[in-house]
Amino acid sequence: MDSISRRHIEKGKTQLLMVLTLCIVTIFLAIFAMGQGSSTNLDMWTSMRMILGFESGTALQSDIIWKLRFPRILMAITGGIALATAGALMQGCLGNPLVSPLTLGVASGAALGAAFAIVLGISIFNDELAIVANAFLFSLIVVAIIIQLGNLRSVTAESYILVGIAITFIAGAIVSTMQYFATDAQLSQLAHWSFGSLSRPDEIQVWYISIAVIGLMPTAMKWSWDLNALSVGGDEFAISTGVNPVETRRNILILSALMTSVVIAFTGLIGFVGLAAPHMSRLIIGNDFRKLIPCSAIFGAFLMLFADTLGRTLFAPIIIPVGIMLSIIGGPFFMYLLLANRGG
Amino acid sequence: MKEIIDVTNLNFSWGNNHVLKDLNLNLKENELVSIIGINGAGKSTLLKCLNRILKPNSGKISILGKELSNVDLIELSKHISYVPQSIRSNFSMDVFDVVLLGRRPHIQWTIADEDRDKVSKTLRYLNLEEFAFRRFDQLSGGERQRVIIAKAVAQDPTVYLFDEPTSDLDLKNQIEIMKRIKELISVPESSKSALIAIHDINIAARFSDRILLLHEGRIFANGTPQEVLTPKNIAEVFNVTSEIVNMHPNYIRIIIKDEINKNKKTDKTVIL
Repeated sequence: MDSISRRHIEKGKTQLLMVLTLCIVTIFLAIFAMGQGSSTNLDMWTSMRMILGFESGTALQSDIIWKLRFPRILMAITGGIALATAGALMQGCLGNPLVSPLTLGVASGAALGAAFAIVLGISIFNDELAIVANAFLFSLIVVAIIIQLGNLRSVTAESYILVGIAITFIAGAIVSTMQYFATDAQLSQLAHWSFGSLSRPDEIQVWYISIAVIGLMPTAMKWSWDLNALSVGGDEFAISTGVNPVETRRNILILSALMTSVVIAFTGLIGFVGLAAPHMSRLIIGNDFRKLIPCSAIFGAFLMLFADTLGRTLFAPIIIPVGIMLSIIGGPFFMYLLLANRGG
Repeated sequence: MKEIIDVTNLNFSWGNNHVLKDLNLNLKENELVSIIGINGAGKSTLLKCLNRILKPNSGKISILGKELSNVDLIELSKHISYVPQSIRSNFSMDVFDVVLLGRRPHIQWTIADEDRDKVSKTLRYLNLEEFAFRRFDQLSGGERQRVIIAKAVAQDPTVYLFDEPTSDLDLKNQIEIMKRIKELISVPESSKSALIAIHDINIAARFSDRILLLHEGRIFANGTPQEVLTPKNIAEVFNVTSEIVNMHPNYIRIIIKDEINKNKKTDKTVIL
């Protein structure tokens, strides 16, 4: 084998090792996070031993670990994977490092749906799933409108971003109007929804969300080569390597919207992960989407776990919602990473 | 010689601007054809139509006997590799990985050792081995242009479409790249060919088997460099006077002398 080829393989192995290290750190953080809690009859050491299978514990302790803490941790991991993957996909297919899953109308659509359910009481479901169903449906409708309007204008990445910004403003204006006429209770509910919390979905819902997200991951990976071509060289370059940019971009936007909606419909708005995780991954792995997508997913899970654990323990028993925590700790850290690596 | 590309009555417009008008051309195996013409003559548009980046209004394009619109895009990229004038890059990769994208039509998910070696050999062939693990966005314009050409070479197509491949290159690299392209398509058993949109008529004269002179969306002249690059044709299309010199036994050289001012104004108003 050629010496340049050998060096390429070696570089790939080093990057794989870094991703595996991050993966192991994330697993340890998950185990640690499950042991963290305010329950008086369950110290961290016992929790750890129970999670690792060295101790069975009482029925109550088992319920606390597996029915209360585990769904939350699983939701943090799944949410992180989904939002970070969606962020990496969107940034790649639109060739824009500022894009995140929440910037392209998904968040404004979800907020609009939630506002319809909370303020006007309009939803396709009339039970506790009213907000979730509306948020999911409206975010997908908004993305569908953006894709259609983007196609009408032209089929470039910029059209999707511009139409997305316009739709976000319109949806925001409608939500603000509803807030203006809402009661105090409705306003409070809407504000609380927008904070983003991992404890909202129940155990069964968390499993459904996780299955959906993990099920969508192979499809995301399938487009890695296409994303490499699109993000490095733009549309003409991509076509010359056999990629149909219009079709690929549309499919990826739909997939990203699905991954984002399925999470934020249940948790409320959780920003930052979708923007930061892909950028942080780029700093260690580069821009090859075959590695960037899995690395972003692991980074996303790590960030969510870290923020959630901190949010639960920092001012215990007060719990700071993960969405707020992520922005507080993640923003400055992200800025530091970017400035520290400004030389490339 | 086998016909690789055949274009019949090709028309393309941007709105009311009719860029290509009933254009006919063919490209045969082992042939290097240069397209020359003034800015906006339709050189890039023609190349983009041939690579399905742009959809013509009418006309027929065939590649290896198959109608272009019926060929799957992946299949097409195994036959045609296109080098754009410039590329916009928001996210960068190592040079090796950019060139590896040329193998994308040939591979699924995993990269075979042969694909890696193909990239390595291409990098050496174009004297780019020292850049292999440098980031693409940290290269100069000319170096980037060579990397994109390397990607096209690694693609191993039947036809190369180059849109001004030497525009960012220094004098030595212009000659070197054109020599390499000529070498690639001159291997008799390879059946390759190249269509190059270029502004430098001396480069075109030196390396082309045939030159297409595009003017106002039509082919104004088509033939060997000696046939096409006459002072009369050059004056008609480029509005400059020129002199042809035969300093080299194998190719002509064109010395551009002065512009021809067809609309001479005797009374000029200069606004400062």
